[in-house]
Amino acid sequence: MTRTELPSSVLIAGCGIVGAATAFFLARRGVDVTIIDREGPAAAATGAADGAVSVASKRPGPMMVAALSGVALYRQLLAEGVLADLFTPRSTFIIAASDEECTVLEAHGAALSGEGVTVETLGRTALAQRFPALSPSARMGAEVKGDGHAIGYRIVNRLLSTSGVTVRRGVAAKHLIEAANGRIAGIATDKGEFRADAVVIAAGNGAASLLRLDGVMKPRKGQLLVTERAPALNASMPGSIMSGRYLLSKGSQKGGPASGRGYGLVVDPLVTGQFLIGGTREDSDARQTNDFDAVKHILADAVALVPGLADVRLLRAFAGVRTAVVDSLPLVGRWPVHDNLFVAAGFEGDGICLGPVMGQAIAALVCGEQPTLDLSPFTPSRFSACEVAA
Amino acid sequence: MAEVIIIGGGPAGLSAAGTLAKAGIASTLLEQRATLGGAIHRQPVGSAKPVSVSTAARHRFERLMQGIATPLVRLRVSTTFLGIDGDGCMLTESRTDGTVAALKADAVILATGAVEKIRPVPGWDLPGVSTAGGLQVMLKETSTPPKGRILLAGNGPLLIALAAQMIRAGNPPLMIVEAGNPLAHPVAAFGLLAHTTLLREATGYTLDVLRSGIPWKRGACLTGITARDDALEATILHADGRTEIVAADRIALHDGIRENDIGLPAARNNGKPIILKAGDCRQALGVFAAVADGERAGSEAASLLRGNKAALTRFERRIDRQVAAQRLLAHIFAPALPLPPLSALPDDCTLCRCEGRTVGDLKALLTVKDGLSGREVKHNGRFAMGSCQGRFCAANTAALMAALRPDVPAPTLRDLTGQRWPVRPVSIAALIGAASNETTNDHEVRS
Repeated sequence: MTRTELPSSVLIAGCGIVGAATAFFLARRGVDVTIIDREGPAAAATGAADGAVSVASKRPGPMMVAALSGVALYRQLLAEGVLADLFTPRSTFIIAASDEECTVLEAHGAALSGEGVTVETLGRTALAQRFPALSPSARMGAEVKGDGHAIGYRIVNRLLSTSGVTVRRGVAAKHLIEAANGRIAGIATDKGEFRADAVVIAAGNGAASLLRLDGVMKPRKGQLLVTERAPALNASMPGSIMSGRYLLSKGSQKGGPASGRGYGLVVDPLVTGQFLIGGTREDSDARQTNDFDAVKHILADAVALVPGLADVRLLRAFAGVRTAVVDSLPLVGRWPVHDNLFVAAGFEGDGICLGPVMGQAIAALVCGEQPTLDLSPFTPSRFSACEVAA
Repeated sequence: MAEVIIIGGGPAGLSAAGTLAKAGIASTLLEQRATLGGAIHRQPVGSAKPVSVSTAARHRFERLMQGIATPLVRLRVSTTFLGIDGDGCMLTESRTDGTVAALKADAVILATGAVEKIRPVPGWDLPGVSTAGGLQVMLKETSTPPKGRILLAGNGPLLIALAAQMIRAGNPPLMIVEAGNPLAHPVAAFGLLAHTTLLREATGYTLDVLRSGIPWKRGACLTGITARDDALEATILHADGRTEIVAADRIALHDGIRENDIGLPAARNNGKPIILKAGDCRQALGVFAAVADGERAGSEAASLLRGNKAALTRFERRIDRQVAAQRLLAHIFAPALPLPPLSALPDDCTLCRCEGRTVGDLKALLTVKDGLSGREVKHNGRFAMGSCQGRFCAANTAALMAALRPDVPAPTLRDLTGQRWPVRPVSIAALIGAASNETTNDHEVRS
């Protein structure tokens, strides 16, 4: 396709943040877009995410590059007014509480700096001054500047209402419809056939069955908590907290948590005065339920770092199911066999950060342009299973 | 031995516990307030004297209490239900010391009572405005009538019952504003003859109110409340079209009751725990049905736990009778004037008190071309997202959504409220310190 061959219509399966962002950028180019979703906008992982728009936990490599572009795009959309009031720039503080965590954090801070991220390392005293809500057990902190926070479902709502694309709620995709010329004609659903010039699969865990990706993706559940408003404590926090243990576990978690359930503490002061506290990574089940053991564990970790949270009440617990890819990299790009089929799925816990930038990249690809972001590390063709798909 | 937990010490919960005990099955009954009885039979706290009730009502409560006067029924009052987690673990919070406990059970019977309905009017969220049911519980627990000039407004038999109790307690309400005109339905009232006890209680309350000379404005409705100096001013639209402004110190609203499924887990007759619902929380049919439904749930739990087949027809017959009685009452109390529709509320009228969301906020959200789901409205409008978990606003928000978008399928309450624990905010310190599988009973009382 060339620039002059814009598809006249695009069908997107999945109305999470990736699907909504793809639709938004396609609609900006004048393409007629329809999104179908089994439930509705932000009904799965996007609606139950921690909302970190962050490079703080990334290691040098393609995900770091993508995250930097992701954060930059949020800033741009905020400046343009598209995401007015919905993206909150703030620092992420990675907190180390043990020798081991201090060592890892120092190395990590250096790695981030090497990638051009502004990081300030704070010793115990400086940290206590900058972040008085932290417990004395916090020995060292790395303030990662330039990060931010966004609530996934609100971003989706804004992208959809701004672009005016058509959203078909309660439409479950069944299988792809192949055209005679080897292209994809559309998607067969429980509400009939939907046809378009190009098809984008942004259906999270639903992508696996549509693309017959056996063994490539798996559901990874996360439990999250929201507190009541605690304005004074909230205002005293200059940014969000990520436990240094997260770095230890993230590095060792290729392919999933060892024991079926891993914990990585994040505490985010929300603009409402509430706190969002997370979370788990679980390969044990894919139900959107919360269990007492996990909630208790997350809260105990949170209070250990921010003692003031003990006096706050828990308002809500919720769970979402992310889509993890076996090699921990998302699948983003043109589908190998069909020219007009594209995929953007498998972002695990990075969907909110990467959704808009990946949607922008896919929109460019769909319109026959080379995306600014290098998508080659995420190419779907790296899985041989793709050969047999379709 | 099977472990059954019953949530709620009203007629349904008490009768379920009694029925289980009769079948030889032990249960623990949790009640969130300090005394048993539910909204209808709420007992006084401490040295307060009980409010005067009919002989039939007193006997009914005594029978329920006799049923649980056995070591097979353990009572825990001042204990709040927080929910059932994804693993089937039941969570409770003590209102005396704030501790949280996690309990395992083979079966749970939810008997949490009804939710009181309120038709929102401008100013319904002002301080000094409460629900009539809330006021009634206060009166029954303290036996002291709330002070000052009190206006009762809304729809349904509870308003006259409360008025009669306030008269007996020594502070009659200033006025009762009732949308229906129950005295205009003699034929339907005749039908109540088949429901002797109900008719006797209703007649007693009605006569008390008529004898007292309190203005009982039938076929009238409250259209707005404003705050003025230290008092409230209620605007009342009378049956003859006249508008009157009445000054009051407190206003109690009530527009009937409905079943309660706010945040509660769905019923299921398998798995661990089995979850059953009994009484007004399942279907709001009043005390007689609640007693029968408690027996039904108790029998069903006993059968399920023992792997027998339950014979439930006889309970269902009794409940059906109450469905008929409630239908008669609804007819008798049917609003005599067309109540202003929700869609006519001004944009600045509050819908969600917890999060301060208005009618205008909802209208603004619904302007997108595709119909927003209840869940999207919750997420993006913060309706039903506050600390009451939608108890007050979810039904009205859903009804207004349906009215504003007649072409889109109406959202369910569950779309807005979700179904998750905790069903009410709970201390983080208490959750961290929670004991698991606790069996001791520090708050056992016999009231």
